[in-house]
Amino acid sequence: MIVAERKTIPELVDILEGHKKILVLGCGTCVTVCLAGGEREVSIISSALRIASRAKNLSFEIEELTIERQCDNVFIEEAAKAVERNDVVLSLGCGAGVQAIAERYLEKPVYAGLNTAFIGILEERGIWAEKCAACGACVLDQYGGICPITRCAKHMLNGPCGGSREDRCEVRPDRPCGWQLIYQRLKGIGQLDRLKRIVPPKNWAPSLGGGCRVIVREDHRI
Amino acid sequence: MKIHIFYCSNCLDTDALRKQLEINGNGQGDHQIQTVSLPCSGKVNLLYLLKAFEKGSDGVLLVTCEHGECKFLEGNLRARKRAKAVESMLEEAGLGKGRMIVVRKSEEGIGQITAALEQLTDNILQDTERSQE
Repeated sequence: MIVAERKTIPELVDILEGHKKILVLGCGTCVTVCLAGGEREVSIISSALRIASRAKNLSFEIEELTIERQCDNVFIEEAAKAVERNDVVLSLGCGAGVQAIAERYLEKPVYAGLNTAFIGILEERGIWAEKCAACGACVLDQYGGICPITRCAKHMLNGPCGGSREDRCEVRPDRPCGWQLIYQRLKGIGQLDRLKRIVPPKNWAPSLGGGCRVIVREDHRI
Repeated sequence: MKIHIFYCSNCLDTDALRKQLEINGNGQGDHQIQTVSLPCSGKVNLLYLLKAFEKGSDGVLLVTCEHGECKFLEGNLRARKRAKAVESMLEEAGLGKGRMIVVRKSEEGIGQITAALEQLTDNILQDTERSQE
């Protein structure tokens, strides 16, 4: 899922200052699961903004709404009346959600209330970790399902850097060494031979090299 | 001054609390105090506490069980962390520190709550004075 975290209240106040009627719009998908922009977080952030508004004499009038998915036009339509009633939208969706709302409602300013951080999973209660960099050319098949791009701080493709201590990464000692994990995993599934292959430099062209990435599926276009 | 007291009903008796605070059932007294009973302090979440402030509360007191005595094992630990998160958000929102106090109810009795309440009102007064400077 996409993982995000909220901007601070002073940042949000700075973004919203000068506006009166504000729609705080949540998203019921990824950002709900990572506890950043779901229905409950919409209420929490709205409440904090109301307190800030009173403390700083800003006269915010805040409406709350959460739709199932901000990155899908079918669900965006559900917000039409609420968007119309307000001067601006503070979207608690991911970056894709914010832009989808802005593209649909051209006449309204749409602001991001979250910082979209990464694609990751919940590792344990309250801890989310990055697992995928969306590089566009997945190499997980070669590394036992453990990504050297996101799990190794140096993105090493041909073995560890040698700087790890015990099983800890030397760049981030709070994290396990990605290559330690890859080795253990390949050993566990009997594929250590994979490590004997020399992997050429990764082709980053499918990543962010060519501007906005688009996937076209002609079989779905008619 | 408007104050909310959220408390775990396993460690504090409502009648005893109200008697000690010398308030009647409507929450009237020297300060406007509203008590909110919880089945466990861990039931409290960020929104409960923020809503109290949003609706005009000047300060919130959260009463939890002593460490290791929570009937639900870790409710009091969760409550403390949530209160800390709320205090941080209040500071971000422009309210000063000290308006959110957590009290671990010990065997010292209910007087402990009165003392915490006095501390809370002092904090609020100081914060109000600071903001008016």
